[in-house]
Amino acid sequence: MITVFFQQALNGIILGSLYMLVALGLFLIFGILEVTNFAHGEFYMLGAFATLFVMTGLGVPFLPAVVLAMLLMAAFGVLVERVVFRPIVGKPLINGMLLSFGLSTFLTNLALLLFTPDPRKIESAFAQVHLRFLGLHVTLERLLALVVGAALAGFLAYFIQHTKTGKAMRAVAQDRIAAQMAGIPVFRIYAVTFAIGSMLASAAGSMVGAIFLVSPDMGWTVVLKAFIVVILGGMGNIGGIVFASLFIGLVESLGGGFVSYAYKDAYPFLLLVLAFLLRPEGLMGGRKA
Amino acid sequence: MSRGGRWIVGLGVATALLCLPALFSLDYYLHIFVMAGIHAMLAISLGVIIGFTGQVSLCHAAFYGVGAYASALVSLNFGLSFWFSMWVGGLTAGVLSYALGRLVLRLTGHFLAITTAFFGVLVTVVLNNWVPLTKGPMGIPGIPLPRLPAFLGPLAAFESRVAYYYLVLVFVLGVAFLVYRIVGSRLGRALIAIRENEELAQSVGIDTMRYKVFAFTLGGGLAGIAGAFYAHYILFISPVTFTIGESINILVMVIFGGMTTLAGPIVGAAILTILPEFLRMAGALRLVIYGLALMAFIVWMPQGIVGAVRALTVRERPDTPG
Repeated sequence: MITVFFQQALNGIILGSLYMLVALGLFLIFGILEVTNFAHGEFYMLGAFATLFVMTGLGVPFLPAVVLAMLLMAAFGVLVERVVFRPIVGKPLINGMLLSFGLSTFLTNLALLLFTPDPRKIESAFAQVHLRFLGLHVTLERLLALVVGAALAGFLAYFIQHTKTGKAMRAVAQDRIAAQMAGIPVFRIYAVTFAIGSMLASAAGSMVGAIFLVSPDMGWTVVLKAFIVVILGGMGNIGGIVFASLFIGLVESLGGGFVSYAYKDAYPFLLLVLAFLLRPEGLMGGRKA
Repeated sequence: MSRGGRWIVGLGVATALLCLPALFSLDYYLHIFVMAGIHAMLAISLGVIIGFTGQVSLCHAAFYGVGAYASALVSLNFGLSFWFSMWVGGLTAGVLSYALGRLVLRLTGHFLAITTAFFGVLVTVVLNNWVPLTKGPMGIPGIPLPRLPAFLGPLAAFESRVAYYYLVLVFVLGVAFLVYRIVGSRLGRALIAIRENEELAQSVGIDTMRYKVFAFTLGGGLAGIAGAFYAHYILFISPVTFTIGESINILVMVIFGGMTTLAGPIVGAAILTILPEFLRMAGALRLVIYGLALMAFIVWMPQGIVGAVRALTVRERPDTPG
């Protein structure tokens, strides 16, 4: 029983690290552009398909394919920011929300049309490597998801804290107009933000495609959970997002394993309600945007 | 537009609405009109929350669904007629939206939107999994039609779509009138004050939380009644009708028409129920086009159709408030 518990907990942490990658991108876009990007799940879906096609089309192995897909998706993210979101900068929040719904509908259905609805699997060649320690069982593929998640989150935290672009991003998040007056090219920061967000989502989608499946409708449920992570994380910092996503992953995995699998999609909402009752300012404190 | 002009437009619209079934007598057209009416009720009720009070809610389909299920279950299990079960549907949805409103309306903006979106997901999960009550994904078949006493003759059974059309029309007008009266009252001005500036509204003594909860409850309750109309018209309900996709659909209707007006949601509901029927011939491309159209619309006409029309006529009456 205790082994099962730790096994579920491990799965939950791996799941949480995947949510984290999506949530970090959402958090950046939300913080810097003040847009709730409901189409972020579609970036994740397209990233997974990009990895799949790079692997099957060019015969590239899994990890280089993931990197290549991330670069492709970064370009796609920049394009989307320029064409879709740039025209509504500074408009009421509902405009951005509906715009991203439109984008999400468009991309999902285009993918359904082009890629067919059949679920597919990315063959990473790491799925057959089984690791055991302390009675726990994990495939190398799942472990890789955890490592990639941690590495990207660490890299992002460094980038935001210590590089010039990262500092500019934080400045824009705090006050767009003041940042503009200080000479920060705000629109370029927007493009960088979208590029980073798309790359992280693409990495997450590729990992999910390897561990589970790739299909055109895979984005929608993930994006909602990632939003819950962003809210629970308290909108403060990357640490809050990491903590909240691991927490959501654990709750979903343990709740699904020990309480009721059928209701597992409802747990994040119940958590959210609890969080509102106990800590209205978010789990990690932090400022409220 | 002058007062006389308004009367003429009003009369014209009323005549057109009354004559519609005579002009388009095919069941297919009537079905679209009935659905447009149900959507109009939903859009007006969401308009109260989003347009007049300024609170973004993404779970309207949840209240729609709860109303539909409550009304259907009450009429099937206790043999209650539609005329009672309809109110049960509205009341259940109203109570639920009151409870949710009390809980989440302290949030604003994006946070409120996402939280309500997740509430919508929660309701779908419950509808799918509470099998003993809702029969899960199988749905509930055999919901009875509304009936009037038999002496009223052939119209009494509402078996013809024409009769149902008029029934829905009466309720749409009723709901619109109710909202019209509220918006024109002190209560409505308080709601609009909250939309325009919540802190300022609070500072002049408006109990913003109470008014927001009121708008949320009213909107949810009316959506529940619309749900009852849907259930007793389609005669079968299942969770797939009441997903977040439908919530977004209703939201788009409100925004498309113009959210800060009363006519906007009605116009939006009518157009966005009829227009997609033409897109049916596009087949698999339908939703691709819909997504593109939605994006184009938000970029180029964010104030909605009624808003755009008003912007054209605003020069004629610079000092009359809308």
